[in-house]
Amino acid sequence: MSDASLRTPFTLRAHGALEDRYLQEALGIATTKFIDLRKEAFADFPQGEALRDRARAIKEGTLQQLDRHLERLADNVERLGGHVHWAATGDEARDIVLRLCRDKGVRMAVKSKSMATEEIELNDALEAAGVKPVETDLGEYIIQLAHEKPSHIIAPAIHKTKGQVADLFSKELGGRFEADPEVLTAVARKELRQKFLDADMGITGANFAVAETGTIVLVTNEGNGRMVTSLPRIHVAVMGMEKVIPTMTDLMVFLAILARSATGQKLSSYTTLVRGPRQPGETEGPEELHLILMDNGRTRQIAGALREALYCLRCGACLNVCPVYRQIGGHAYGYTYPGPIGILLTAMLKGAASVKDLAHASSLCGACKDVCPVRIDIPRMLVDLREQLDEKKIASWSERMVFGLARRLMVSPSLFGLGAALGRIAQRPFLRNGRVRGLPLFFGKWTRTRDLPPVASRTFSERWKDLDPP
Amino acid sequence: MTTRAEFLGDIRREMAKTRGLFETLPAPRPADAGQAAEVVRRQMLERWLQALERFRDEFERIAGVFHRVASLDEVPGAIGRIARERQASSIVSWHPGVLGVDLRQSLGREGFSVAIAPDADPDVAERLSHRTAAAVAEIGVTGVDWALAETGTLVLVSGRGRPRSTSLLPATHVAVFARDRLVESLEHVGIMLEALHVDPARTMSGAVINFITGPSRTADIELTLTRGVHGPKEVHAIFVEGR
Repeated sequence: MSDASLRTPFTLRAHGALEDRYLQEALGIATTKFIDLRKEAFADFPQGEALRDRARAIKEGTLQQLDRHLERLADNVERLGGHVHWAATGDEARDIVLRLCRDKGVRMAVKSKSMATEEIELNDALEAAGVKPVETDLGEYIIQLAHEKPSHIIAPAIHKTKGQVADLFSKELGGRFEADPEVLTAVARKELRQKFLDADMGITGANFAVAETGTIVLVTNEGNGRMVTSLPRIHVAVMGMEKVIPTMTDLMVFLAILARSATGQKLSSYTTLVRGPRQPGETEGPEELHLILMDNGRTRQIAGALREALYCLRCGACLNVCPVYRQIGGHAYGYTYPGPIGILLTAMLKGAASVKDLAHASSLCGACKDVCPVRIDIPRMLVDLREQLDEKKIASWSERMVFGLARRLMVSPSLFGLGAALGRIAQRPFLRNGRVRGLPLFFGKWTRTRDLPPVASRTFSERWKDLDPP
Repeated sequence: MTTRAEFLGDIRREMAKTRGLFETLPAPRPADAGQAAEVVRRQMLERWLQALERFRDEFERIAGVFHRVASLDEVPGAIGRIARERQASSIVSWHPGVLGVDLRQSLGREGFSVAIAPDADPDVAERLSHRTAAAVAEIGVTGVDWALAETGTLVLVSGRGRPRSTSLLPATHVAVFARDRLVESLEHVGIMLEALHVDPARTMSGAVINFITGPSRTADIELTLTRGVHGPKEVHAIFVEGR
């Protein structure tokens, strides 16, 4: 999402989402369905828990030797006839794609769904350079036609009704289409099939890349990943560098848990392992393969507070279970990556200051950590992030003042006692039915939606003093 | 422009700050991949029948259509039936050298148009004409490298005479396999792929390995499951019992 829309404060964006009745209903249905599907998939799969531990260990082990694995990956991709590009920033990654387009006379590029290219806002850059980018995942295609942004990592258009999609297709593609998913899917199939055959370049992300074999791995359900890597004459894969894994054996561990976490499938319909461009004797495949390894703020976290976020597989499971995401959906987060993990990834890519509001858009309930296939401790990192925001004085002055005062009170027993005594008096006008309600000033933000338990008439420490020592 | 050395240098500098982390070892993997693959093959000689039943269950659960024929000779007949039921007249197929059966003779005689993938190094014109044939074909017939029982997955390795688009462009994909292709688990596939990559030049001529688990699907419009969005709407597996 462009930075302009981020000028709207998060609270307003969230309010907008809360008032959108269709979004509320769609979010409720979608997230509940994904939660159930995931639960069933793991209930049937006793080895799943041990595989999650192994997957986590593989991610950590890879990170501990990241330089070696990346070198190995690059060497193998080049050995197979591919080209490897190193992009320290998102700008650089975008420039590499644009240069390739210019040098190779590319007019149209078909894309399979990729969060990495969303992250660098590649489509806008391509359009500005006169290259037509065509999203081919059905959900992404819909939102591209509507000039919107994805609202869910794996179901980008869940915020749209079939009626809206039918109107959109009728308007953009010419014709009159029935509001039936079957019909609309057939329309998209026909429309996009020709694009696959005509495009000069296919652009993908990468779910994994196997260092030892130089293999780029794409997981899709629709088959667009296969089209994009088979039909155009150039294939460009843009990959966050943390997606590298060591071996084929490791890949199987991830495949066993990825689809189960995302959609509750045992495997997605298509897992595509790409090893270089078209090989001698093959009838199809691109003449050129380019792998762009992108850093874009990731290296800073190798020794940083968000290290574990580098394990993320982008499955979307943590979005579905998050009580905040379930209410406000993906758009309100404002950046490419929504949901609990999205807050951490945004902080990683855009700096901690970019999430000074979002860091609080979590109840720290821990549901995200429970479902994460690689058990990323998201709540712990969110707390760390809040601490950083406070220490770096990024958080608002009122927040810092309140918490600063609270800290002073809590570290000094005498001040704490005094505070309790004062609180007992100060709370009196606001006590209703044994709860503190309707506080004035900015404290009112808290009590508008929540009750505060009052200070007890006699606190524990006061009663403790009265006890007879044994 | 960032060079490889700069990019890796940045990473190494940050990695140096993390010394003292509890060391995590890589996942265990077969020491001798070729030997491990041989062990799996031997196991499957004993266990193929259970694996086949599991494959069938899982394959049907994801909307695959399972067929069983006694020998390779019956394969063209089975494909002809599938084609006629769908009122399809054009078929594209892997080369007989890899498929084990030549569909041109039998099905060609019955009036189907059958396009066969070239197996010698194809030139640009041949490649283009095959692509056009695959793009208009209604039925695509392939072999199978591994049939994975636990998920009902067909694993196909691309290469000479085995184009990747045969299982992608036509609306119906028909895969033909025998018992020696069955494996039980993703772990087994991992072992096979480790072995395949020990010397890929010898065993693998193509660039792509596809795991195909049922038809192409999407649920992007109101979470309504719809099949055949870009790839095939139907996937059939023909199991060949004997030679």
